[in-house]
Amino acid sequence: MNNVKMTVNGKAVSRDVPDTTLLSEFLREDLRLTGTHVGCDTSQCGACVVHVDGRAVKSCTTLAASLDGADVTTIEGIANGGDLHPMQAAFNTHHGLQCGFCTPGMIMSGIDMVNRFQADGKDLTEEAIREELEGNICRCTGYHNIVKAIEDAAGTMADMAKAAE
Amino acid sequence: MDMTGEYRIAAPRDVVWHALNDEDVLRACIPGCTELERTSDTELSAIVVQKIGPVRAKFAGDVELTNINPPASYTIQGEGSGGVAGFAKGGADVTLAADGNETILSYVVNATVGGKLAQIGSRLIDSTARKLAAKFFDNFQAHLNENQPDKAG
Amino acid sequence: MTDGIGARVARKEDKRFITGKGKYTDDIRMENQAYAAFVRSPHASAKVTGIDASAAEAMEGVIAVHTGPELKADGIGDIITGWAITSKDGNPMQCGVWNPMVTEFARYVGDAVAIVVAESQDLARRAAEKVSVSYDELPATVFADHALETDAHQVHENVPGNLIFNWEIGDEEKTDAAMSGAHHVTQIDITNNRLSPNAMEPRSAVAVYDEAEDHYTLYTTSQNPHVARLVLSAFYQVAPEHKLRVIAPDVGGGFGSKIYIYPEEIACLWASMKTGRSVKWTSDRSEAFMTDAHGRDHVTTAKMGFDADGKIVGFHVDTIANIGAYVSLFATATPTYLYGTLWSGTYDIPAIYGTVRAVHTNTVPVDAYRGAGRPEATYMIERMMETAAREMGMDPAELRRRNFVKEFPYQTQVLLQYDSGDYDALLDMAQDAANVSGFAARKAEAAGRGKLRGIGYSTFVEACGLAPSAAAGSLGAGVGLWESAEVRVNPVGTVEVLTGCHSHGQGHETTFAQLVADRFGLPIDSVSIVHGDTDKVQFGMGTYGSRSGPVGMSAVMKALDKVEIKAKQIAAHVLEASEVDIVIEGGEAKVAGTDKTMGWHEVGLAAYTAHNLPEGMEPGLKETSFFDPVNFSFPSGALICEVEVDPDTGVTEIVQFTAADDFGTIINPMIVEGQVHGGITQGIGQALHEGVVYDDSGQLLTGSYMDYQMPRAADVPSYTVSHGCTPSPNNPLGLKGCGEAGAIGAPPAVINAIIDAIGTDNLQMPATPQAVWTALQSAKMPMAAE
Repeated sequence: MNNVKMTVNGKAVSRDVPDTTLLSEFLREDLRLTGTHVGCDTSQCGACVVHVDGRAVKSCTTLAASLDGADVTTIEGIANGGDLHPMQAAFNTHHGLQCGFCTPGMIMSGIDMVNRFQADGKDLTEEAIREELEGNICRCTGYHNIVKAIEDAAGTMADMAKAAE
Repeated sequence: MDMTGEYRIAAPRDVVWHALNDEDVLRACIPGCTELERTSDTELSAIVVQKIGPVRAKFAGDVELTNINPPASYTIQGEGSGGVAGFAKGGADVTLAADGNETILSYVVNATVGGKLAQIGSRLIDSTARKLAAKFFDNFQAHLNENQPDKAG
Repeated sequence: MTDGIGARVARKEDKRFITGKGKYTDDIRMENQAYAAFVRSPHASAKVTGIDASAAEAMEGVIAVHTGPELKADGIGDIITGWAITSKDGNPMQCGVWNPMVTEFARYVGDAVAIVVAESQDLARRAAEKVSVSYDELPATVFADHALETDAHQVHENVPGNLIFNWEIGDEEKTDAAMSGAHHVTQIDITNNRLSPNAMEPRSAVAVYDEAEDHYTLYTTSQNPHVARLVLSAFYQVAPEHKLRVIAPDVGGGFGSKIYIYPEEIACLWASMKTGRSVKWTSDRSEAFMTDAHGRDHVTTAKMGFDADGKIVGFHVDTIANIGAYVSLFATATPTYLYGTLWSGTYDIPAIYGTVRAVHTNTVPVDAYRGAGRPEATYMIERMMETAAREMGMDPAELRRRNFVKEFPYQTQVLLQYDSGDYDALLDMAQDAANVSGFAARKAEAAGRGKLRGIGYSTFVEACGLAPSAAAGSLGAGVGLWESAEVRVNPVGTVEVLTGCHSHGQGHETTFAQLVADRFGLPIDSVSIVHGDTDKVQFGMGTYGSRSGPVGMSAVMKALDKVEIKAKQIAAHVLEASEVDIVIEGGEAKVAGTDKTMGWHEVGLAAYTAHNLPEGMEPGLKETSFFDPVNFSFPSGALICEVEVDPDTGVTEIVQFTAADDFGTIINPMIVEGQVHGGITQGIGQALHEGVVYDDSGQLLTGSYMDYQMPRAADVPSYTVSHGCTPSPNNPLGLKGCGEAGAIGAPPAVINAIIDAIGTDNLQMPATPQAVWTALQSAKMPMAAE
């Protein structure tokens, strides 16, 4: 058992966890944040993507015990009160989801790629989005509308970043 | 999986033969072997811990020696179960040829794996097997060197 | 009406999914919940000679270990198949017995041998490792074309030669005569690769036994909870129907794989009763690859005869279909009535005959997977057209046009009667959208870059909304194929629609609500759709086979008709007008030609206060309808794929993909396009990437996403999708169904494009770089770039 203190979606949490507990299990079972999904056991599908200290990670291959002091954001933590995050809104507008199972991981990966590309001043093209989604599998949408949603949200996020300056 | 190989061992054929039939030597040289007991003249039981790709398992198995033709050849056959990790089974024909003071060991292996090992690790079986074989012969040569320093190169 | 039929309404259900608030089965946690794990056979074929669970049972926190013989001794029934097929010699099919857990023989890798129930999932899995099972390994039969050989191991004692049935359809004599008189005969030998459905949400079940009420509740990943309850009750004897509630909450994709009632659900329900605990089991992906029903797996030889003008004169098909170790629920219907009946494709073929031999093998059961039989038929026919066109020196599109069915209804030689369509118009639409006239220039440009560019066609017709029930029954179906709906208008005027269909990605909560919004002019937010719970919804057959539109929505329309009639009677009474003068629109009941109106909510309130109803009218405003269609509906489409093959590596890139489909009336184009995108991507997956591989001892070698290649975002392009519309005359809305079209039409378009690029048709799916490169070498054709 290890005592782990972290911030999850802005709230401080402290739990005793066994060495072997994965972050995905910790979020789903200990914190009951079930929006983070587990779709495979070989770290390929990306349904479990969350942000740790601002970067996308696959929570199914991250040990909770290794994250003492970390700042974790899950799909439940990205809306601002009643206002959806632009990435969430874009997935709805562009029909970027069907069954919804891969969606939390897609949205978290989408936000991460937009942030990274904007920080580097790079253009997030359709081709780049498709390459960046290498670690996220969707079986329903054929990716077409996911790509459109991320492209659209990238524009909104850039506008918001400008407005905030 | 089929695999063939040949190793030149810097020791006379008799020495190699005896070492290959000595459970203490085998236990020390087989990568991951934690237990190896002789259960009859021609049978051994073993526990080997192995990691193949993402699958790590403890295999408990029995090994039988047949076609024994000292000091030139034998066939070794076995089957090991690794619980949910699956199983491995197979055999090897091992031949020793004297070449002066050294020995040329050649083997023909045929093995299959099942269960999780096949589902997740099958891509890695060949390379892992080659690596394990190389490691075994390195260990084996080192063991012979230690025990016969005067004869080793 | 902005939210009505034909509107691109954003989905109502999205909010919970995009905020992480969806409720999938594995998200459920009951009080006193325990966890199950299964001990599974690592052998494809073995006799279980002993099970020693003592080490597992001794572990702290392990509640119970139970085995197949115990389950059987408690009277739990064997797993059934839902469609009885008769062989061409008149004999009924022969199926091996499927015990939910092994009683004596394990017949595929993953066959469940024991269930372990423990205090945590981790503990259950660790305890399962401690259960020691002794096996006597037996020879295994793995491949479809080997199963019928005399040296093949017989999978089941009661199924001689592994032959489940040898089914025929069509007129053999007429077809033989037509073929012998043909000017040209083309033969193809093809396989349809075995696929794993891979819904992203792994299967899961939470079984809750209430001892006080002797009542069971099962939360499960099901596409059809009522069918699950019926089968669990009537055939598996878990509990009588009124003592069993099945809830399919949010379900993360199905594609067919969640139609079936699997051993795990049965075992969890039973274990819940045995242990007095709620029992949860959630598959991991490795288990999913091993145990979820696979799809396709056909080996086929087909011959098509043509006259001197390229008109088809006859078609002859022989298929071996791999059914796997046991006969799953729709496994027998898929390679027969959903396959052989589609052999006419989009073409007028005067003589067709063929046989399908279904065989047992030591592999996981094979059943309906997105398209179910129709992709296999389409792939065969459309590859045939490509090869025939090449052999006869004709343009593949022209050969298709020359043979298209042009008049409807069209009676095929293989049972079905096509309802409506315009195949030429769809091909025109697709060719325009794909700019086919510019292809030669694109090919030349690609050649300049050292790439081989090819164009491939596929035109398809499929049959959706399997019906009518009486006809299906006469052909061996074990269930009816209607759908039901209840429309409840509440006293405040809001509306609930209860449907027997189940949404696991299809967007019913939006599209079904659009029907109500359209009918009464109500805001879509005042309509809610209830589904997936046998305690709430009357009865229903669930969602599969693109049936929710043509069958499920039709039931809603019929219930809406009844509600409308009664609402008009109430309004006419209150407004003192004649019923025929009442119009309901814009959320109001109006007397035509006057300014007399009554708000929709006032109609609802009047119905429930019952203070002022027409004499003799029952209070309330709630109507039910069961809709049994008179025929299938027949969506069709034309797909055009362009690929570029790198001759040095064999890598195929899909550079353009165009689809023109006819789904009849469309309720929400945005959702329909999404279905097409997803279907095409699964079709591309089958064509280029996916394939389940067993070795010759029956070991599954594609057991994870490391080895089973799912199509990813960078593997596919954005698509150009358009629609024609010839409404189906067989249902009130003229719907045809859209869920499977992409998966049905796409594979041959992709493969035909590669064939066009590399100049040889010596190619099977999946067309991996290695397969394409090998085909290129065997063809030894000069590179286009040279």
